[in-house]
Amino acid sequence: MRGWRGRTATAYLLLAPSLFGVAVFLVLPILVVLWLALHRWDILTPSTFVGLANVVEVARDGRFLHSLVVTAVFVAFTIPAQTVLGLAAALLINRGLRGSAIYQVVLVLPWICAPLALGVVWRWILAPTDGALNTLLGTRIEWLADPALALPSVAAVSVWTQVGYVALFFVAGLRAIPPAVHEAAVLDGAGPWQRFWRITLPLLRPTTFFVLVTGVIASFQTFDAVYALTPKGGPQLSTDVVAGRIYYEAFESRAVGNAAVMALGLFVVLVVVTVVQQRWFARRTTYDLST
Amino acid sequence: MTAVLRSRLGVLASHLALLAGAALTLAPFLLSVLTSLTSPQQFAAEGPLSWPDPVTGANYAQLFTRYEFVTPVVVTAQVVLVILVGQLVFSVFAAYAFARLEFPGRDALFWVYLATLMVPQAVTIIPLYSMMTAVGLRNTFWALVLPYLFGSPYAVFLLREHFRGIPGELIDAARLDGCGTLRILRHVVVPVSKPILTTLAVITVVTHWNNFLWPLVITAGPQWRVITVATAGLQSQYNGNWTVVTAATTLAVAPLLVLFLVFQRNVVRSITITGFR
Repeated sequence: MRGWRGRTATAYLLLAPSLFGVAVFLVLPILVVLWLALHRWDILTPSTFVGLANVVEVARDGRFLHSLVVTAVFVAFTIPAQTVLGLAAALLINRGLRGSAIYQVVLVLPWICAPLALGVVWRWILAPTDGALNTLLGTRIEWLADPALALPSVAAVSVWTQVGYVALFFVAGLRAIPPAVHEAAVLDGAGPWQRFWRITLPLLRPTTFFVLVTGVIASFQTFDAVYALTPKGGPQLSTDVVAGRIYYEAFESRAVGNAAVMALGLFVVLVVVTVVQQRWFARRTTYDLST
Repeated sequence: MTAVLRSRLGVLASHLALLAGAALTLAPFLLSVLTSLTSPQQFAAEGPLSWPDPVTGANYAQLFTRYEFVTPVVVTAQVVLVILVGQLVFSVFAAYAFARLEFPGRDALFWVYLATLMVPQAVTIIPLYSMMTAVGLRNTFWALVLPYLFGSPYAVFLLREHFRGIPGELIDAARLDGCGTLRILRHVVVPVSKPILTTLAVITVVTHWNNFLWPLVITAGPQWRVITVATAGLQSQYNGNWTVVTAATTLAVAPLLVLFLVFQRNVVRSITITGFR
């Protein structure tokens, strides 16, 4: 039997590759992004220290704030829609009708595919003259070129990709509710609506919390499909989501320092949003059926 | 209205709603497959909702010859394969150490792993780009795979939970038989963890086959172009050439759809217990 020292050595040998990866590709970048935020760098020439000048510049130039607003609107479109539709789909799937398992798999399909590829597919479907949707409707609506329609269209595509995924979680949540709870309510004379609002929804709260928190975090970082549907921020920057703004700032305008400031800004926003959601859910009662 | 009739109507309405949802979900896929099998001439003359007549593979042939899609498919497959092997091996190593070994600093390190789960990709992409540039790896194969090769904290977290559930007697018995740690991993831990490892493998393939932002940022030119970047480039360069563009998107999503349909039981079950990435 080897001693304590040998076992520690084994553990660190096993951990070494993973530790290297985490240190270099996840922890170090956080330090580097702070460094970049304090420097001006155009990728081609060496960087120079500028202190907080990038922060001032990003704050003065309204586009970062604009992109945060666009993203917030995008989140406000997508999250309620995908949560409600996902829950509705889960309730239908959970009725145990013939073919339920197939419906569940079909609804998840978009979520497995590359968002970029689906964005390209929808760009064609929503194309003004030779797109499938306008041909079907007999219209010539500029879904993606009209500044008023572009963001809702992009949000709708995003919802289409997420509904099945959200439904998966709600199906699992619904299956975890013991049938006895519903049976007792039926005996007490509760109708289907009453049971939904008073039993199903409160008992689904942990699932809802998970779906909302992960959904909001993902939605705040949306990039691929938006890039494919409406490049360069869309008509009049109406779909200029924050992840896209960071990308264009760094790799089109070559203002890497500004982009680093924006990335840090996004990080802060995500932390705040997550904490707020946690507080909001913590204030409400959760029901533990295991006791 | 009798109760029986009402419940029959309820079942019918549920079926109709689910059918409508399934149709809405599948329609874009079916439409793009059909369009990719239509000749550009027919598409121009009859519009996007016509049945391909005759069915043609010309768009796919063009994709591989004129638009050079062979390289992106090969590059993507290589990237996914290398990341898959690295992630599985190194995540298993790390997860086993966290789950079954005792060593100083374990809990503090695991806390760091958990904390990194909260760092969004949008934040790390720019520093990673500058780091790769600094060491001269921009636009290389290694730039595509290195950030993901050493395992993900998420995979380590997932596997650790699982490895903690393996009965200690199994591992002790192997050790008494003279097995070293690597043999214990190969002959005990991995065989009893097949389902979770399969799930993790599918998740890794899906994530990296679909990855777009990092390859877009770190590669330039045709040499290391992956399939998502090639599809985006084709679309922006030949906007309106929809028969070829839909062939590209079909090529980009078809392998994953097949993979998912083969492993769907595995994936669906585990998504709901783990939350995926």
